Amino acid sequence: MSETQTKTSYTIPIGPVHPAVHEAIRLDVSVEGEEIVDVDVVVGQVHRGIEWLGMNRNNPVQSIYLAERVCGICSTSHPFSFVQAVERATGIEVPERAEYIRVIIAEMERIHSHLLWAGVAAHEIGFDSVFYLAWRVREEIMDLMEYITGNRNSKAMFQIGGVRRDVTEEQLPRIRKSLEYYKSVFNQLKTVFLEDITVRMRTRNVGILKTEDALKFTAAGPTARASGVPKDVRQDEAYGAYADLDIKAITPDMLTGTVVGDVYDRIIVRLLEVKQSVEIIERCLAQMPPGDILTEPKIAKLLATLKKADGEGVGRHEAPRGECFHYVRLQGGEETLATWKIRAPTYANLVSMPTILIGGQIADVPIAFASIDPCISCTNRAIVVDTKTKRKSVLTDTELHKLSVEKTRRLQAKLDN
Amino acid sequence: MKILSPEKIVESFKICLGSDFIDSSIYQREVAVKKNLFTSIWIRVKREAFKKSVEHICKLQEYPHLSVISSSDLGDSVALIYHFTIYYGHHLKALSVGLGVTLPKNDLKIPTITDLIPGAIFTERETQEMIGVEIVDIPDNRRLFLPEDFPEGVYPWRKDEKGPHGMLRVLPGREGIKNE
Amino acid sequence: MGLNSFKRALWVYHLNTGSCNGCDIEILAALTPRYDLERLGIVLVGSPRHADVLLVTGPVTRQMAPRLKRIYEQTPDPKVVIAIGSCGIEGGVFYESYNLVGPIDQIIPVDVYVPGCPPRPEAIIEAVVKAWVKLEKAAGQKVA
Repeated sequence: MSETQTKTSYTIPIGPVHPAVHEAIRLDVSVEGEEIVDVDVVVGQVHRGIEWLGMNRNNPVQSIYLAERVCGICSTSHPFSFVQAVERATGIEVPERAEYIRVIIAEMERIHSHLLWAGVAAHEIGFDSVFYLAWRVREEIMDLMEYITGNRNSKAMFQIGGVRRDVTEEQLPRIRKSLEYYKSVFNQLKTVFLEDITVRMRTRNVGILKTEDALKFTAAGPTARASGVPKDVRQDEAYGAYADLDIKAITPDMLTGTVVGDVYDRIIVRLLEVKQSVEIIERCLAQMPPGDILTEPKIAKLLATLKKADGEGVGRHEAPRGECFHYVRLQGGEETLATWKIRAPTYANLVSMPTILIGGQIADVPIAFASIDPCISCTNRAIVVDTKTKRKSVLTDTELHKLSVEKTRRLQAKLDN
Repeated sequence: MKILSPEKIVESFKICLGSDFIDSSIYQREVAVKKNLFTSIWIRVKREAFKKSVEHICKLQEYPHLSVISSSDLGDSVALIYHFTIYYGHHLKALSVGLGVTLPKNDLKIPTITDLIPGAIFTERETQEMIGVEIVDIPDNRRLFLPEDFPEGVYPWRKDEKGPHGMLRVLPGREGIKNE
Repeated sequence: MGLNSFKRALWVYHLNTGSCNGCDIEILAALTPRYDLERLGIVLVGSPRHADVLLVTGPVTRQMAPRLKRIYEQTPDPKVVIAIGSCGIEGGVFYESYNLVGPIDQIIPVDVYVPGCPPRPEAIIEAVVKAWVKLEKAAGQKVA
């Protein structure tokens, strides 16, 4: 960026998903007074060369565990897309029961991720007690994931040709108890997030992304759906057990009747998706067919098959943040993958970041930025640049967060009068 | 917008591009209990007809969804595949279309598509810095993921002398990755 | 244990040098009501100049290495550095990548290592308590 004149560039390091996570993202915002006029996105902090490692060092089975650590929050989406790409490249079959177990794990991850986001969004507005409430509610699903898979994050359930662990009959009552808990607590979450006047004032008409822009900038996930584009890989494409379940993409007009494309609509979409995920898990448990969970249990034989295989394939999955895409090409005789390309969902949403922020106020930057649910380790960081005024000053992310909280208190005080 | 079958789509490409169409394949697979079909189409075209092919996809679907551009080092050429999705939003009808172009290593240039699909800017920047293809008329030429002080001319995804071999971090007591 | 030098809360600054966010989520989960680090008097602060403990996660990428050094220098003595996760100890699964610059202890001195990918919140709490004891000893020696 040309830095020839002195300008007011507010260098604002903003934590990507967590209020306290510093320095994986930086926003330099260009402002004119209070209004934002220009935004630039720069990424690069978390680049670890994962695709290179997969192409030069790991065999495909090891790459599954590498794919898990692309992002710790969506740590099921990347292996899910990856094993699908490899299976389509080589023609390895997947048993039906494994498809259902994969969907159960993926939907549990969606619940955990959306509740995490809800807490962070509340913190950015200034409701810290709601942050703690949302994360306390989230602990229930973390316990459930540990009960089924053995770990809270990085669950290592996926294998090429199936899953590694089964969901047995004895585990079903415990799972059903957790799902009942979520059904009972859903109305409380809805009241706290959707019916509070201050939340509505801070999020209505803030960070708007129009339908046409969402289409042009290839947005994905709740960001696109909140702008009225019904894109959902679970609805559009036949994969996993979703093909049997008739999923419908959730758009905000299901609750309010109109589509505005602002932060409030994104809250609606995510909360309704939590409800949808609970229903999906219940239907999967009811419909799960019996059978094997893995086509080829012996890893040595699997690796030998993969070494001889030749072909290319794509794998897609609807991660909590959008469409997660993997492309894999295998060449006969090579132990590593010949080509591996990952496209994490935040990658697609970040391009529309300037459009969302321009025209708004600085105090709205934290909540507008957090509303696309950026997972920066999937992508990297962002910089926004200011050009109008001619002074240089630096705002840290705590100062930015303070601005956001102060705006909330101002609006609340106006309400009381 | 009509929804065409995969075979009709391949036909329409052949008609539109004529001799610049190289080959195609359709991959289908049955999924889960109800045996719905997953379909993906792979089309390879010559570089001269690349922009025309992208315009043709935009005619099949207004605002096609571009996922990413993948690139492979094939020795003396570089193969780029543009992964599109069309017919999204319709229940179980979305199609993956992979548009492949092969570029010889002594002439690594391809036109930009950000005038048709503005959201392609990130993936074009990444392709430029990671495998060294020059995207003609790209609106933003900066690096995306690599740091500014990463040496010029080193492209991480290349398997030839321009790869990042000298930059690997080998821990004490270990051998590095061997490169043939 | 004799914690008598630090009569106020322990202030912690968290830095992410390029991790996948798994460890960072477990750190935040340690603050929520279930594990509740705050009952031990531990608070997350927004600036390294106020911190006693540095919680560092991630394998250090090239872009983050200068920033890590600067933050370490900005933190006033006495301080303790905790490296959380396998990435911080040896690079984790990314150990041979071209964009990494040494694990954390090649750049700044580390006092406590917490292995795991990611480590559980209970492990993080134990690490912070160990760091606290170390700080106490260091402060006690300086006073005496």
